[in-house]
Amino acid sequence: MGVILEVKNLTKKFGGLTAVNDFSFEIQRGEFVGLIGPNGAGKTTVFNLISGFEKPNAGSIRFDGMDITGLKPFQIVNLGLVRTFQLVRSFHYMSVLDNVSVACLSPRGKKAAEKVGIDQYASRILSEVGLIDKARFPPVILPHGDLRRLEIGKAAGTNPQILLLDEPFSGLSYEEQEHIHALIRRLSNEGVTIFITGHVLRELMNLVPRVIAMHQGKFITDGPPQEVANHKIVLEAYLGRGGGIA
Amino acid sequence: MPKKIRRVLYNSRESFKNFFLGVPKSTRNLYKEIPNQVKSFKEWIFTFRGSLTILCLIGTILVPLITQDDYIITILISFLIFSIFAASWDLLAGYTGQTSFGHSAFFGLAGYTAAFLVKMVGLHWIFSMIIGASVAVLFGLIVGIPCLRLKGPYLALGTQAFSLILFNLFMSGDLKDILGSTEGISGLPVMAEEHIIKFFYILIIMIISFVILTVIVKSNVGTVFKAIRDDELAADASGINTTKYKLLSFMISGFFAGIAGSLYALNMRAVNPSIFLVLYSFYAIIMVALGGIATISGAIVGAFIYCVVLSELFKPLGAMGTIFLYFPTLISAIILVIMIRFAEQGILKPALEHLREFYDFLLGR
Repeated sequence: MGVILEVKNLTKKFGGLTAVNDFSFEIQRGEFVGLIGPNGAGKTTVFNLISGFEKPNAGSIRFDGMDITGLKPFQIVNLGLVRTFQLVRSFHYMSVLDNVSVACLSPRGKKAAEKVGIDQYASRILSEVGLIDKARFPPVILPHGDLRRLEIGKAAGTNPQILLLDEPFSGLSYEEQEHIHALIRRLSNEGVTIFITGHVLRELMNLVPRVIAMHQGKFITDGPPQEVANHKIVLEAYLGRGGGIA
Repeated sequence: MPKKIRRVLYNSRESFKNFFLGVPKSTRNLYKEIPNQVKSFKEWIFTFRGSLTILCLIGTILVPLITQDDYIITILISFLIFSIFAASWDLLAGYTGQTSFGHSAFFGLAGYTAAFLVKMVGLHWIFSMIIGASVAVLFGLIVGIPCLRLKGPYLALGTQAFSLILFNLFMSGDLKDILGSTEGISGLPVMAEEHIIKFFYILIIMIISFVILTVIVKSNVGTVFKAIRDDELAADASGINTTKYKLLSFMISGFFAGIAGSLYALNMRAVNPSIFLVLYSFYAIIMVALGGIATISGAIVGAFIYCVVLSELFKPLGAMGTIFLYFPTLISAIILVIMIRFAEQGILKPALEHLREFYDFLLGR
């Protein structure tokens, strides 16, 4: 056990706008944590900062006891911290299998795939995410739900210790959401730490045991979903100030 | 040796290995793939594509038996050289997505190096060619490092700037003694007395180049190149060191462009600064666009159409008078526009599909 991800006083400014303001939290190894907040709360910015796609103005990020602030995205991935994108980013003109193979060809993925061979390893991941029938197709012709699964498959190809999932449910039908739920649960059971965002509370409620809430770039509260959902500021953020319902 | 120093040495060696040999490690694995390649080659010969390639090869080899005309063989030699050049551009732009408008810089620099070595040092043309290509690789590294931060059209302009710099450098009178200024270097020794022997030399080099390029493109390195082309950010998020692979692509592409440039200079027996003109970069781009981007073998088709079919077809027009002199260029341009409108993928893929139907029909499938 022990802390795997430790974020301290993270701050990011875009011009005059403070997207993330003095944000701190910790995630234990093997935990399954959600990050919630209304649209524009800064969830994706937090992910971009942790995964190295943007540099923070202040604060530090420690992963597995190592300071990863300012490292390049691919270096962070090769340490075992992998993220997915809210808007699916696949390699459009390559086959689904090759999409996953690319992740397996990163130094970290290669080490994991060494024993079975890259192709074998990639197709094993594809059968786990349920896309093995479509291994030869290019992603452009796949429906949105499959692309989401491919996105998770691509992340899994690098053999992550912690997986940052950015809105994996957005724009999916109920059935497709169920598929992704099951997939993420399975990954979690395999020992991968999962950190997941969502702006709809209901989706995350029955999935994660612990939720971090943020609003306008600030940390609000942290705890079991039920507790967080009844928190005053969270209710205000979602429903508006002084609402009669609250 | 004290333990500490030994450890420092070991660490520095490891980091050196990781930095410089990190990528070649996957290239090093290529030799392990050779038996597999041989096996798949045997199967491949009997497939549609394989039999087609073999037929084309036999056809090229038979050319000198049919005609001994020096003119035709010279045209064919320029086709072979430009097909290597176009394929090298295809690797960089079609596979890695790094559109370069400055490919003539590799072409010309290697051409100058080879010409210099052959004439002034008196080296054999094969060694001059390889050294010329190596210079192009080094140049690829030098261009690559600053240009990799640029994307899309900016990268194209950045690479073009390098070819312009070289053009002006070689044009300038300051280095007249070595580089010959506007006259360049001329009067190189011949590659071979007979045109046909020269043809076969270049044919062999071209076949080797295409085999190597195809193996690279089909290998894991090729997969990573394609990933960088499709979405660089996503490749980064998949743990790929995109800078390293882009640099590798620049260097491989530079090598083959260098081979083509050296052969061009050695074949012409002269080289002058016009070799750095952007026109040569566009030759490569046009040929790849004609044949089909991201296909490697499309470069052969494109080069054949451009160097042999189009130029020969419109030659009589140019001979009719000065007014018609630019007609061939005009007609090629029109054909290119039509191509871009109706056959974005180049003509290789659709042509292959039709041929395949015919092939299946012949075999009664």
